Amino acid sequence: MDLRYTEQDQAFRQQVRAWLEEHVPRRKLESLDEKKAWHRKLYEAGYLGMGWPSEYGGRDARPMEQAIVGEEMVRAKAPAPVNGLGISIVGPTLIHHGTEEQKQRHIQKILTAEEIWCQLYSEPNAGSDLASLQCRADVDGDEFVINGQKVWTSGAHNSDWGLMLARTDRSAPKHQGISCILVDMSSPGVEVRPLTQLSGSSEFSEVFFTNVRVPADNLVGEMNAGWRIAQTTLSYERGGNTLSRYTRMQESYNRLLEVVRTVKRNGTALIDDPHIRWRLGKVFADMEVLRYASLRILSRLERGERPGPEASIAKLHYSELDKAIQEVFLDILGPYGQQIAGLPDEIALEQDTEEFEPGSWAYSFAWSRAGTIYAGSSEIQKNILGERVLGLPKEVRADRVQAAAQKAESGGNGEN
Amino acid sequence: MQFDFNEDQVMLRNLVREFLTDQCPTSHVREMLTSDSGFDRDVYRQFVQLGILPFPERYGGGDLGMVEQAIILEEMGRVPYPGPYFPTVILAGSALQSSGDENAMARFLPDVCNGDLVLTLAFMEDDTGWSPNSINAEVTKDGDTVTLNGRKRFVPFAASADVILVVAREPGSTGKNGVSLIAVPKDSPGVSFGQEKMFDVTQRTSTLTFDNVSLPAENIVGTAGEAGRALESTAERAAVGAAAEMLGASRRSLEMATEYAKERKQFGQYIGQFQAVKHMLAEMLEKVENGHSAVYYAAWAQDDNAPDRALAASVAKSTMNQASRKVCGDAVQVMGGIGFTWEHDLHFYFKRSKHLEVHYGDVDHHYARVLDEVLAGRTAGAEV
Repeated sequence: MDLRYTEQDQAFRQQVRAWLEEHVPRRKLESLDEKKAWHRKLYEAGYLGMGWPSEYGGRDARPMEQAIVGEEMVRAKAPAPVNGLGISIVGPTLIHHGTEEQKQRHIQKILTAEEIWCQLYSEPNAGSDLASLQCRADVDGDEFVINGQKVWTSGAHNSDWGLMLARTDRSAPKHQGISCILVDMSSPGVEVRPLTQLSGSSEFSEVFFTNVRVPADNLVGEMNAGWRIAQTTLSYERGGNTLSRYTRMQESYNRLLEVVRTVKRNGTALIDDPHIRWRLGKVFADMEVLRYASLRILSRLERGERPGPEASIAKLHYSELDKAIQEVFLDILGPYGQQIAGLPDEIALEQDTEEFEPGSWAYSFAWSRAGTIYAGSSEIQKNILGERVLGLPKEVRADRVQAAAQKAESGGNGEN
Repeated sequence: MQFDFNEDQVMLRNLVREFLTDQCPTSHVREMLTSDSGFDRDVYRQFVQLGILPFPERYGGGDLGMVEQAIILEEMGRVPYPGPYFPTVILAGSALQSSGDENAMARFLPDVCNGDLVLTLAFMEDDTGWSPNSINAEVTKDGDTVTLNGRKRFVPFAASADVILVVAREPGSTGKNGVSLIAVPKDSPGVSFGQEKMFDVTQRTSTLTFDNVSLPAENIVGTAGEAGRALESTAERAAVGAAAEMLGASRRSLEMATEYAKERKQFGQYIGQFQAVKHMLAEMLEKVENGHSAVYYAAWAQDDNAPDRALAASVAKSTMNQASRKVCGDAVQVMGGIGFTWEHDLHFYFKRSKHLEVHYGDVDHHYARVLDEVLAGRTAGAEV
């Protein structure tokens, strides 16, 4: 064991910090164009797609360097890159599974935010049970014809392209009839309707597809191999970036420490209340464990190990912890914690939201409720841990029973 | 950045696991339940002679760090090992080393390292606190003689200890000022032992009474009245060590409950197929893995003398207190009726964890310390 940052890492951190101090925009970015300009600046500095191979515009950076950039961006209150899903999901998917032509066509534009991407996965009836998705892509000559609906699509209203999972073989067992397809969001027949969320903001949309025609060349990987591809992209979502999530929590905690020293309740400064002190101690201890666990994951990534099912521990941990911590913050702050705007300066939370909108304690609290739902709910993570890490037998599930009955009937070799 | 064990550390873990599997199976743990001392002196001696102690080589130790001690204690938690390793090596041993008293170390450590000397630390008193404010036992110095008066409780393996390091204060002193450490041979006149029977039946603890115990002044370890810092450091190592032992007990409990959930059928299916059980086991796994991160980070912070080493020790102990309660408790739940029997080994882990929860600082103690360290700025930012 050796948990010291190397001199090389520390020098890199200083370099990133200095760059951010000089370049982070002093005022809030208003338009999409301004956000894209900031994104390009980050890319040109070498801080986006860092881990990608250099032949595709990356820097072959080590996971530690990527983590350092993530941490320093949070610390510097830097706006996030505008093409988050393009960078975190789509780019790596194309690098691993795309054709050379797809790579040449899209990867550079993802890096420069010339193409903004969204992820067209979830459907009204396919959430946790994603493989039951029904949106169809039927082959017609050298085109797919897409019909169906997607929902909870982050950033769809700003997106030029979408990475879609669609059903391409309805007779196959559900995991084996899905393909991964690149969809131009400006195609005729695509309709995006923004949704307003519990938080009051509107980052998600529902997207409707009516006879949308997509060239067959937009298929990623093999026909009907979409599920396996999606499994690898979901694991990019889980695990690798927990250190920057920790940093975000820590920033809120540090702010709370300032607040509890100035705010009084029942005539006593909050910091002198033994119950509040107990909670502040517990929250910090719990956050530290997230930091230690993040370093443990990072040290594995540094050795070239990919996050396996164990990434579910990290996902479960930070999302459930965030929920617990936000509850404590609101307990301590009382009604101020639920005030959305106009808080006294000595209480306001300056930190921006996950989406880098101006934040409030209440807004962060609201978003903590999303974390245990998206990217595989806590219940799904527990299934993964139980079955794939502990090796417990799979549960009896209606769809498996049905598939087994069909298989017995047809004498086929469907696998589930 | 390397969080996982290096090759030597993996070898150490394997060595300790093999030894304990061979010499200390649960059948042996059960045999020891009815013995007076609660442990087998030969097994203890052989174990210590593996050369794995943290003390300097000049005293016969293996010069190993706290990470290595955490590895050893995690393995002990998996047995759970009955015996005085923790009080001898982690409590008294750390106190001796932290005192910087070369004479005391030269006097005791060589015999500790060859397994002939069992030590313990008598800290806790009637109020069962784990801070200097709880110390009321008094030591007075008169020329070349010191006199000790007071009562200690829950002193681990005191009845088997050859020498007891007793924490006492100068009359009139408060807090960590005026606190001394006195080496008291067990047969000193005025020392009386009262055995306590505990819920963790693998433990042997005693109430010790010191009634005008008179000793040569050279039995003061370190400088008289200045043991406060050495005891703080000892308390940190004890917290990390206890957390490591709880981690071992928790991981073993999780393994047993998982195996059971794969074999036991009810309603025509394995109980591990029910999400109610599967999710409970998944949560236990999360607690165990996070506990691992906390324990070994804290152990490393001790070895590295990191600025957040006190903080990390308190994080590790409070985390494992909560984790082991959940994991060892839920293991009993998963195993149902069989988990509630004396015959099944599961209860040993449940009880060892419960025992360690209230020693070396409970959650309230450690959460308070965490906040104190944070407010004092003794944290490790990423910039360290």
